[in-house]
Amino acid sequence: MASVEFRDVTKRFGAVAAVDGISLTVERGELFFLLGPSGCGKTTALRMLAGFVEPDEGTILFDGRDVSRLPAHRRNVGMVFQTYALFPHMTVERNVEYGLRFRKTAAAERAARVAEALERTRLSGLGPRYPSELSGGQQQRVALARALAIQPEVLLLDEPLSNLDTKLRVEVREEIKRIHQEFKITAVYVTHDQDEALSLADRMAIMRNGRIEQAGTPAEIYAKPRNEFVAGFVGETNLLDGTAEPRGGAFGYATAAGWVPAQCEASRAIARISLRPECVRLGAPEGAPARGVVRRVSFFGGSVRVEVELENGATLSSVSLGADARLTWREGDAAGVYAEADNAVVLE
Amino acid sequence: MRSSSNERPGPGAFAAVAAIAAFFALFLFYPLVYVFNKSFIVNGRPTLEFFELLFKSPALRESIGNSLMIAAAVTLLSAALGLAFAWLLSRTDLPAKGLWSNLLLFPLILPPFVGAIGIRYVFGRFGMINILLMKAGIISEMNPIDWLGSPFWGVVILETLHLFPIMLLNISGSFALMDPSLEDAARSLGARGAALFRTVTAPLLMPGFFAGASIVFIWAMTDLGTPLLFEYRAVAPVQIFNAVQATQENALGYALVVAVLLITAAFFMLSKFVFARRRLDMPAFGRSAGRLVRLGLPGKVAVCAALAVFVLIALIPHVSVVLVSFSEKWFMSALPQEWTLDYYGKVFTHPMSYNSVKNSLALSGLAVIVTMAAGGTIAYLLARKKFKGQGILDACAMLPLAVPGVVLAFGYVQGFFGTSLDPRVNPVPLLVIGYAVRRLPLVVRALYAGFQQTGAALEEASASLGAGPAPTLRFITLPLIRANMLGAAILAFAFSMLEVSDSLILAMEEKFFPMTKAIYMLMARLGDGGMIASAMGVLGALLLAAALAAAQKLLGKKMGDLFRA
Repeated sequence: MASVEFRDVTKRFGAVAAVDGISLTVERGELFFLLGPSGCGKTTALRMLAGFVEPDEGTILFDGRDVSRLPAHRRNVGMVFQTYALFPHMTVERNVEYGLRFRKTAAAERAARVAEALERTRLSGLGPRYPSELSGGQQQRVALARALAIQPEVLLLDEPLSNLDTKLRVEVREEIKRIHQEFKITAVYVTHDQDEALSLADRMAIMRNGRIEQAGTPAEIYAKPRNEFVAGFVGETNLLDGTAEPRGGAFGYATAAGWVPAQCEASRAIARISLRPECVRLGAPEGAPARGVVRRVSFFGGSVRVEVELENGATLSSVSLGADARLTWREGDAAGVYAEADNAVVLE
Repeated sequence: MRSSSNERPGPGAFAAVAAIAAFFALFLFYPLVYVFNKSFIVNGRPTLEFFELLFKSPALRESIGNSLMIAAAVTLLSAALGLAFAWLLSRTDLPAKGLWSNLLLFPLILPPFVGAIGIRYVFGRFGMINILLMKAGIISEMNPIDWLGSPFWGVVILETLHLFPIMLLNISGSFALMDPSLEDAARSLGARGAALFRTVTAPLLMPGFFAGASIVFIWAMTDLGTPLLFEYRAVAPVQIFNAVQATQENALGYALVVAVLLITAAFFMLSKFVFARRRLDMPAFGRSAGRLVRLGLPGKVAVCAALAVFVLIALIPHVSVVLVSFSEKWFMSALPQEWTLDYYGKVFTHPMSYNSVKNSLALSGLAVIVTMAAGGTIAYLLARKKFKGQGILDACAMLPLAVPGVVLAFGYVQGFFGTSLDPRVNPVPLLVIGYAVRRLPLVVRALYAGFQQTGAALEEASASLGAGPAPTLRFITLPLIRANMLGAAILAFAFSMLEVSDSLILAMEEKFFPMTKAIYMLMARLGDGGMIASAMGVLGALLLAAALAAAQKLLGKKMGDLFRA
């Protein structure tokens, strides 16, 4: 198990910087997520860790050792590929054993480690099968078992769930969490799916255009997105325009949904404010800090989202748990908007 | 955006590129440049003398004209047959499609010049047809019909019967790639019948159509064996063949070779870059099975009957060669009077034929090694590395499709005159290289397809598990493309055994004769020459049939791609 560090790493393909000067540390044993839209550079960053891509600038360190120029087969990195990349001409056992062949592991120990890896990924009994005889979820676990069998310093996962259907995805997600905790391994996981990242990550980094927009725990990033991109990419949000307006000695911004305090003395006269839908409550219009008209009510089973058109024309979403909101609100109703102003975030 | 560090060519890849470049320079470009030079530069001065000659000499004008007409006729006939058969096999509810498809591809196994041997026994003045007609009292013995009076049509028919399967493979491939929902969409928008075909179906078939047509055109225009056996001398390839035989350096030979090369290159470019330029790849998701045209019972009966008649006609050359090879005595009768297996024995006892079989086995075996090594390297560089000049490498590997065999063989004879590779002294090295170069496009295609199917992710997975480049090649890449390698090697071997232009032109002494040259020389001999030649032809055809069947198994649907330009 090793810590992983990117230090000012840049990789260009032609004129385009796929990864543009990123610095980042993944602690030992951490399950770290690189999250971003396609083309943001997250996969290139992962492939640099694997050794498939060499950085043009900067260094990549495992436990402080510079591995930037080390070829893939000398890195002791386990990787789970998006397509699984199981060797179709080998049985499950042979696939899992493959990496041990290059580690001068004695035959008896090899067999034991293969059996262990299969057991811990709940694949016991499937050893003699070929990959084509397995379901998608089983193939996924073989890929995981194969990567883990070599006891890698770092485990890399490249969108490992993208080829599974929605139900299986949630199952395998939990499986990965369990396996990570059991193996206590440093893991870097690439995805564009925020649910995966929010539910699994110890920490995560949001990438865009080859740069890291923000890094932190899922809760930190969700609660305090640094900018409009992060606020919009991780979770759903309402973006409001605010004008600087000190109130009662405190600094803050006036918005269509009410006054929002700012943490620090921001010098900007106007700012964008992020307000999560669950921080917007609807109530009686009388005496409300802001008012609007219900335009749309969407039911999601466990929650209901109500869109309200404010008096200034902006639309605000409010999400509440339970079905009662659906019963309460109808399109065209006048509603009072009560924002939890303390939970609003002034964006950079 | 994905690119791996091992895509960047290391020193090994540079060495490989350099070796391949040297190979192309020496054995593909040098002979062509030499021929160009010789025809444009005389006594150190640029000149167009030879080309004036080309236009002034009626004999040469005629031979180019004849070759162009043969090529045009063969291409049109093959295209019409290929389109009709491909439509029947892909878009109708024709019964027994597998059987028809095999029967229609069968003619590919017999080189047309071998078929020509049999044809002479069937359509000769006292061949099977005339004898039958005489016995029926339709014609008199004094005045037999001269079926082969026009060697032009003899060549056209034999070559068409041999080459239409290439059109069939290519057009069928296009039909298979076409998403039937496109036609359904056009129908829902109101297109029907001819309008549907013209506006949607035909444009989508174009790339496959022209890929096949350019191969057929070039093959037909420059086929040496068939006109030679019909003693049809007024065609360009035979003229080139004669120019090589001539002891004195023949100025006209050069001009003719350059003219042929320019025509074939122009046609190849035209079809590749104008007609087939746009790749009409269609997304493969949600593909429906497509609606089949119902022929109805009378339609099915009529189509099957017509196909049966066609297959019988197409097999006449094959059947007749087989008959000749088994005939002890066949004179003035519809069928041989006496049968024998002797000539198959003689293939292995007659010094010329036995020697030629041994030569061909050795030459083809060596050629396979050379072409697999070169083709494998090229396919790997194209599929797995990224560097400037890949397009050029790809184009070079495909160039032998556009450069006729007679042209290259002519260039070898003239360009390597007096060197240690001079085929007049020992043709073995250039025969091996010539065979290898001619099969290079096929090998590169088959192996490239293998690398594509395997995908780089498996090799990366292997690397991430600790396997270096050599073990990855051994345990992952090679086992996974084994079928493609085997298929390509088998086909390259079989086609080399039956290669005509290089064999006829480069092997000048009997001890170096490969099978095809021995067949040609034996044909010219009286007595049992024709029968031994036929027996050799049948053995060659059996070998090619077995090779194609094996390759079809190994390469699966990719096989049609090997016969594309």
